[in-house]
Amino acid sequence: MSAFYELLRQYIINLADQGIIHYTFLYEFVVNGFLCALVVGPLLGGIGTMVVIKRMAFFSQAIGNAALTGVAIGVMIGESYTAPYVSMFSFCILFALLLNFSKNRTKMSSDTLIGVFLSISLAIGATTLLWVSAKVNTHILDTVMFGSILTVNDTDMNVLLVTTLITACVALPLYNQMLLASLNPSLAHVRGINVHLLEYVFVLLVTILTVACVKIVGAVLVEALLLIPAAAARNLNRSIRGFVAWSVIFSTASCLIGIYAPMRWDLPVPSGGAIILTAAMIFVVTMIIRMVMPRYREASI
Amino acid sequence: MQGPSIKFENVNLSLGNTRILQDISFSIRPGKIHCIIGVNGGGKTSLILSMLGQMPHSGNITIDWHDNRVIGYVPQTLEFDKTLPVTVRDFMGMTCQRRPVFLGIARSRHSQIAAVLDRVGLTSKSKSILGSLSGGERQRVLFAQALIPEPALLVLDEPMTGLDLAGRKILETSIVDFTNAGGTVVWINHDIAQVNEIADTLTYIDRKVLLDGDPRQVLASGTAAHLFPSLELFEKQATTAN
Repeated sequence: MSAFYELLRQYIINLADQGIIHYTFLYEFVVNGFLCALVVGPLLGGIGTMVVIKRMAFFSQAIGNAALTGVAIGVMIGESYTAPYVSMFSFCILFALLLNFSKNRTKMSSDTLIGVFLSISLAIGATTLLWVSAKVNTHILDTVMFGSILTVNDTDMNVLLVTTLITACVALPLYNQMLLASLNPSLAHVRGINVHLLEYVFVLLVTILTVACVKIVGAVLVEALLLIPAAAARNLNRSIRGFVAWSVIFSTASCLIGIYAPMRWDLPVPSGGAIILTAAMIFVVTMIIRMVMPRYREASI
Repeated sequence: MQGPSIKFENVNLSLGNTRILQDISFSIRPGKIHCIIGVNGGGKTSLILSMLGQMPHSGNITIDWHDNRVIGYVPQTLEFDKTLPVTVRDFMGMTCQRRPVFLGIARSRHSQIAAVLDRVGLTSKSKSILGSLSGGERQRVLFAQALIPEPALLVLDEPMTGLDLAGRKILETSIVDFTNAGGTVVWINHDIAQVNEIADTLTYIDRKVLLDGDPRQVLASGTAAHLFPSLELFEKQATTAN
């Protein structure tokens, strides 16, 4: 894959060299960031609609926090602190499965249970990561929590690409089933849908997606990118088609602008923060449109 | 199309220490409308969910299928976030097609969805947000989704809740047409007048079977008069109407 990325990078750098696109693209890391944004944006935007429908925003936040612990464990067992994917994926998947298992086994409301797990994951993650970062490199914490597009390499891009392919191949054929299962589990069951299994599948998808995006958006903010574009799209749409399409557009635009703007205008903002601030601005604009224009006001009853 | 016959044999269900169903045994004939009636909390919905494989029970529930094994199920209500951007067409699409509904309705389903929405009188509402519909209209959408793909067995859990007279008539006609075409209907119904009018058989359940058989005979029995204080009033109304 590295040869393919190199070919793509050289092509874009040549365009910048000829003055066809902005000179910022002469830098390899900028090109990497943009390629990642083009993958992450649509993916998070699409899955985000389901996260909103299933009311699982806090779940992805809990997974983001668990990624902190994953990084700390990775560093402790000797993984590269810039890409401790084995421990991040392993710990987060275990954490997600445990959370979902507990949700199915208790009578507690899911937001309470997720809130408990979220707090636990943040406490463990922050404690272990602070301890590890003090011993190794204090910048780990910033990178993991808020993302660092400057350090994205071919390994990160490979992880992102594989995660994207898995998510697309699994989520697209199961989209309707997930939607129906979240609207009425009994009806879904009669239609031959294994509601519990599907819930585990979705939880795993959100988990691997969250982990793959930690490097770019940051563990703390990845949940926001799942949520805000979808919430903005919901402000303006009356159908699933519009909801998904606009969520993908908003999410991709947020990623591209969030990566480009700090470099273009030399702003001291990490990529994750810039991406989420862009998404937040889009959300505010859609809120205003919805409040001002009667046509959109009726988009949500 | 030929609907299945269904046989319940000594069905028991307990949730924790609470006995929900006790030795339930009765049969449902193919191609007939069978109504299940009884008090609230008497176990009607639990029985239906047991039949649909959604509740762990003991005893046997045998469904004798023919070629078509499709079940159309109309749940009691559709509880969901009413602000979700899901139109009636989206909902219909997600219940009957594999293609992600955000990519549009599959061509093969277009005419079927249009036909069933027309049948329940909701053609004009196909692009409306599901959450903006009235309770009765939502019940009709729930009924419509149960008809795609064509079922052999319709399981209805109080589908008339919130329906006006016109809506009730539309659903009644659809249900009778369905059984005339050979389908079997299992219907939880609280409306004794309606049961008396269109049910072929009925079972009264209050944790166990208290009455079972032809509605005209069962409702004329002394036990029925004891169970339904309003039955006398209904009979008086029926006599006056005649």
